[in-house]
Amino acid sequence: MSGASLLSPGTASWILFGVFFSLMFLRVPVAFALGLACLPILILEPHLDTGTLMGETFNAYNSFILLAVPFFLLTANLMNVGGITDRLVRFSRDLVGHFPGGLAQVNVVLSIFFAGISGSSTADAASQSKIFIEAQTKEGYDLSFSVAITAVSSVLAVIVPPSILMIVWGGVLTVSIGALFLAGIIPGLLIGLAQMATVHVYAKARGYPTYPRATLVELGRAAAVAIPALMTPVIIIGGKIFGWFTATESACIAVLYAATLSIVVYREMNLKGLHEALLDTGKLAGIALFCVGTASAFGWLLAYYQIPKAILAGVSAWNMGLTETGFFIALVFLVVGCFLDAIPAIIIVGTILQPLAMAVGMDPVHFAMVGIVSLAFGLVTPPYGLCLLISCAIAKIRMIDALKDVMIMLVPMLSVLALLILWPDVALFLPRLISPEFLK
Amino acid sequence: MTFWRKLTAAYSGLLSLLLVFSVAILIVPVSLQIFSRYTALIPSYIWTEEMARFLFIWMIMIGAMIGVREGTHFEVDLWPRLKPRAEAAVRLMASIGVLVMALVFVWAGIEFTRFGWNRTSELAELPLWMIHIAWPLTGFTWLVFLGERMWDNLRVLTRAQHV
Repeated sequence: MSGASLLSPGTASWILFGVFFSLMFLRVPVAFALGLACLPILILEPHLDTGTLMGETFNAYNSFILLAVPFFLLTANLMNVGGITDRLVRFSRDLVGHFPGGLAQVNVVLSIFFAGISGSSTADAASQSKIFIEAQTKEGYDLSFSVAITAVSSVLAVIVPPSILMIVWGGVLTVSIGALFLAGIIPGLLIGLAQMATVHVYAKARGYPTYPRATLVELGRAAAVAIPALMTPVIIIGGKIFGWFTATESACIAVLYAATLSIVVYREMNLKGLHEALLDTGKLAGIALFCVGTASAFGWLLAYYQIPKAILAGVSAWNMGLTETGFFIALVFLVVGCFLDAIPAIIIVGTILQPLAMAVGMDPVHFAMVGIVSLAFGLVTPPYGLCLLISCAIAKIRMIDALKDVMIMLVPMLSVLALLILWPDVALFLPRLISPEFLK
Repeated sequence: MTFWRKLTAAYSGLLSLLLVFSVAILIVPVSLQIFSRYTALIPSYIWTEEMARFLFIWMIMIGAMIGVREGTHFEVDLWPRLKPRAEAAVRLMASIGVLVMALVFVWAGIEFTRFGWNRTSELAELPLWMIHIAWPLTGFTWLVFLGERMWDNLRVLTRAQHV
C-alpha cells in the first residue's frame, strides 16, 4: 500500500507525532489531539479522506470487547453506593489495621480486594480517594503521602484480575484472556505486598498511627459479612477459565452480582444512588472510550504507512536477547504511559512491539503482563497519570505536590516489574498450573 | 443570553438522562446472551450482541458530548499555574482544536450518515443511519457546548483588560 501513497513513512510519522505532541502541549484534550493529528494526512493523501476518521472511530466503538469498560466502572460504582465497599473496608481494617500505618495498610488491602471485583483503576482511584485521603490526614498522615498511596494502590485494579487492560490486550493482540487473568494474580499480590512494606517503612519513620488488633471473633464476623463480596473474583475468573462466559460477559456478571449483593444481601441501594452510579459510569466511560476511537484512527494511519516496521527495523539491529527485550518493552510502555492512557497505548504501541517480542521467543502471556504492569504504573506517572490526576483533584492539590512520594513508592513496585521480566514464571506459573492449554 | 444558557442546560440534562438510560439498558442484551445459553426459558437471540454494540456506540458518543460541556476530556497539563487571564487565553487556544474537530465531525459525519442511508446492519437489520447519525450529532453538540465555553473564556479575557 505504501508504494502508492503520496507521503513517505518518514514524513507521515513526523506529521502524526509532531501535530499530536504540539497540540497536547497546547492543552488540547488528548482524544482530540490524536484525531486532529490524523487530519493533515487525511487531506494530503489522495486515497484517504475525513471519512476514514469516521469509519475508523466507528470500527473501534463497534466492539463487543470494549463493553467491559462501562461494566467494570458500573460494578465499582455499584459497590460504593450499595454498601459492598463499606464491608470490605471493615474487613480490611480488622485484617491489617494493627500494622504500622494501619489506615494506609487498609487502603492498600482494600485496593487488592477491589481489584478482584472491578477491573478499573480509575474507578478505584476515584472511590478510594473519597474514602481515604480525608480520613488519613485527620489521623495525622501527611497529605501528599495519603494522595500518593491511594493513587499507587489503585493501579492494582488493572493488574489483579479481572482487568479491563487484560480484556483489551487479549482482544487486540489475540492472547487468551483466561491465561492473562491467571497470570495477573501473583504479580498483583507481589506489588500489593511491596506497597504494604513501603507503608510500613513510612509509618515507622514518621510515626503514623495504628489501630488496636481486632479479636479473632471480630475478624471472623467481618470476614463472614465480606465473604459474599469476596466471592466475586472466584465467580468471574472461574467462569472465564471454565468457559462459562466470555470476558465481556464476565464483566456483565460482575455488574449483576454487585447489584444483587447491594439490593438483596446488604440492602443499601436506593434509586438516587443507582442513578448516580449509572450517570457517573456513562460519563467516565464515554470520555475514556472516545479517546480509544481517535487512537485507533491514529494507529490505523501508522499501520497504513508501515511506520511500526520502520521503527522496529532500527531496534532489531541491536540484537537484544530475551531479558534485554523485556526491559526494552517495559521502558517503552513506561514512557508511553506518561503521555497516553493505557487502552490507546495498547492499541498503538502493543501492536508495534508484538513482533519484537515474538522474534526473541517471549511468551505472549509474559509479554502481555510486562506491558500491562508497565502501563499500569503509567497511571500514576506525570504528566498524564490518570489515577494520580483523579486523586489530586479530589484532594485539591497539584500533581507536583504528591510527586515525590509517588516516585518513592514506585521504586519497590518497579523492582517487582524487574522480577517479572527476569523471571517469567512469576506470570506464567499459575496459568501453566491451572490451564496449560491456554499457553502455546 | 440567559435563555440560551437555559436551553443548553436543558439539552445537557436530556443527554444525561439518555446516558443513564443507555448504560442501564446495555446490561439487558448481554445478560440475555448469557442466560439464554444456559436456560431453555429464553431463546438465544442472534441480535443481542449487535444490539449491545449499537447501544454502546451511542453511550460513548453521548458521554463524549457531555465531556465537552463539562470540560472533562482528559488533557496533559505541562504549564505552570497561570493567572486567570492567561489561563483563559490558553483554554481559548485549546478550544480551537476541539472546534476544528467538531466541524470535521459535522461535515464528514453528514457524508457518513448519507453513506449508511440505505444500508441495514447484518444481524438485527437496523438501518445503519441510526448509528451513523451519532457522528454529525456529536459534532453539532460540541459546537453548541463549546460555543458557551469559548464565550465564557473570551469574557474573562476582555474583562481583565478593562480593569
